[in-house]
Amino acid sequence: MSDVRTAAAAAEVVITGIGTAVRGLDGPGQLLEPLPDGHRDAADPVGRLSGRGLRYKDRATKLAMVAARDALRDASLTDESGGLTVPGESVGVSASTNYGNADTVCETVSTIAESTYLGTSPMMLPATSSNVVASWIAITHGLRGANLTLCNGPTSGLDAVNWARVLIRSGRVERMVVVGVEPDNPAVRQVAGVPALFDGAVALVVESSLSAGARGVRVLAGLGPYARRGRHADAVSSVRAVRPGPVGLWCVPEHPEGVRAPAAGLGAAAGSVPVHDLAAVHGSASGALGVLQCAAAAVWLSSRSGAVEEVVLASAGTGDAGGDDASAALLVTGGVR
Amino acid sequence: MSWIVTGMGAVASVGGSVGEIFESLVAGRSGLGPLLGYDREKFRAQVAYEIDDRPALGVDEPLRATRWLERAVGAAAADAGLGDDLSGVPVLVGTTLRELRSVELSWRDGVPFDAADLHFGTMLRRRFGAADTHTVANACSASLYALALGADLLDQGAADTVVVAGVDTITESTYGLLDRCYPEAPDRVRPFDRARRGMLQGEGAVAVVLRREADGPGPAPRTHARVRGVAVNCDAYHPSAPDAKSIAAAVQDAHRRAGVRPADIDLVMLHGTGTPLNDEAESTALGSVFAGLDVSPYMTAIKSMTGHTAGASGLHSLVAAVDVLRTGTVPPTVYLDDPVEAVAGFRLVRGTAERPEQALRLAQIDSFGFGGLNAVAVVERVEERVQESSGAGDE
Repeated sequence: MSDVRTAAAAAEVVITGIGTAVRGLDGPGQLLEPLPDGHRDAADPVGRLSGRGLRYKDRATKLAMVAARDALRDASLTDESGGLTVPGESVGVSASTNYGNADTVCETVSTIAESTYLGTSPMMLPATSSNVVASWIAITHGLRGANLTLCNGPTSGLDAVNWARVLIRSGRVERMVVVGVEPDNPAVRQVAGVPALFDGAVALVVESSLSAGARGVRVLAGLGPYARRGRHADAVSSVRAVRPGPVGLWCVPEHPEGVRAPAAGLGAAAGSVPVHDLAAVHGSASGALGVLQCAAAAVWLSSRSGAVEEVVLASAGTGDAGGDDASAALLVTGGVR
Repeated sequence: MSWIVTGMGAVASVGGSVGEIFESLVAGRSGLGPLLGYDREKFRAQVAYEIDDRPALGVDEPLRATRWLERAVGAAAADAGLGDDLSGVPVLVGTTLRELRSVELSWRDGVPFDAADLHFGTMLRRRFGAADTHTVANACSASLYALALGADLLDQGAADTVVVAGVDTITESTYGLLDRCYPEAPDRVRPFDRARRGMLQGEGAVAVVLRREADGPGPAPRTHARVRGVAVNCDAYHPSAPDAKSIAAAVQDAHRRAGVRPADIDLVMLHGTGTPLNDEAESTALGSVFAGLDVSPYMTAIKSMTGHTAGASGLHSLVAAVDVLRTGTVPPTVYLDDPVEAVAGFRLVRGTAERPEQALRLAQIDSFGFGGLNAVAVVERVEERVQESSGAGDE
């Protein structure tokens, strides 16, 4: 949406919690670094879940549940025992995934071909619907606010972050858990057609600064203007028209070589803006990328002064230049006034 | 704040346009037919509400949902005077199953499919130049959920015009798993009938063009209806079973947003899927919301003719509601011969269409989905006002 006109003037929406479920990462702190040595042999983050009912949940759901749980705790929206510290109606979920339930869908049609509908398990039915990830996060924590699932291609993660802001600004909810997740499995590998896939989830808690202030929690970063346009350069210039000034870090789309928007467009001398290519580090992250970028941005900003003048440009989808249907840009700012 | 609908387009098993669909609904014509796209030997259920556009019997092809969406959005945009250029217009598409049928064909049968077509933005960009597009996979309440998002965007001044759409095709995985779930194969969708056996899916797409009422219809020659309010929530209770209390809360929130009381509602377009779980939850919720009224609003469930068009179903009901308010004719819930006790107090239209003597002004549209996703809208009739051709149409 052409949110650029309104985002600058509107009540601020801020990030107050981060959670990750990425093999080899202990937490969001490592999102600015290369993956540690031996990360492939590290424990599967899904192993941090316990309890009944895991058998029939798909991998994307389990990864997302780990990340969402950590983000809620990080934002003090849950207490030590896991109980919500705010009314369930005040919290919504915005999930982004493009391939989350491809495994269930593909395995089910193979089963039907081999052994008719009788070979399927009715327990798999909910996972045929692409909202299953957001649904289980809501059920697990009792989050009764608006519940959204964006399956919107390469920009999906940034779109999900922005929709969370739209719902907070509209007053439908006070806070949202945003989760980006993609699983790596044979079905995704075939559909996506790329060799190196991200297998993990990252979650954010976003809320109005009013809500964060009232709860007395620390603000990690603020959400600046957002735009989704056909050309990457147009998306970037749209958000920068609202919020000019230098960009300190650029989280680039997957396939940044498809983007002909050099650092000159970022208000700095060409080549002088540090670039962070999360897809190069973690593999093709598709619908999870935008949320990963926002988490990395928050980590970067908190390693600096945290001042509101500090800006990270997150952009996903190459748009026309790289053959994607569109490109989205979101500025993430320091949270301290 | 209220919003107006200035364009509508739709495709379903019972018709290829808004007008054709409404004509079928009023005539009580169902889109039910023998299963066309799959190998029937693999299933116990043998019927569905499909769109009959495949190359040959039992031969399926990818991108059918995308094709219907293109038609519905094109019709709505043309109806609203927007032409084919949606380059500055957000397009929000609610869907349960996206192009997952194409994924199935690609995975199992080796039919070529480009992952870029899994979300609908790729077609919307190519066909309409739309870049601010969003595929919202919110299960069977997706298109009414998207309507709430569209209304919020207009409220926040993020756009002047928004296209809200819904689309779904049947996937073989959901068809097979539903077949596996029910004790007996459903013979048809029979909402609130004692003989109901479960839900059967339907295919289709639908789109509306939405604007702030204060801005008027812009280039559109007419205003179809006023949207008074859209409520959304989540049960946070069960991945597939609904929660009556949460549904009632969504209905009450919709009334509050619309500034109406239960007694003001003239018509309820029921979610009415014909599953015992939905029937019980929906009738309990509506029983509590409309308790205390001498007579209930008129009620009907068009899924008895369209099948469950999933992510498109909420907007399919809304578009039908607009025509009900305009014409004063309420389509029947067909094959509702022996209603369950829970709906005894409801003024359900059964058998044939009814033309109530009272004018119908306000309609409530119910839409519920897996994951406990509830969306409820209230729409209002507007007096037929066709704009002068020298008016805003010249913009």
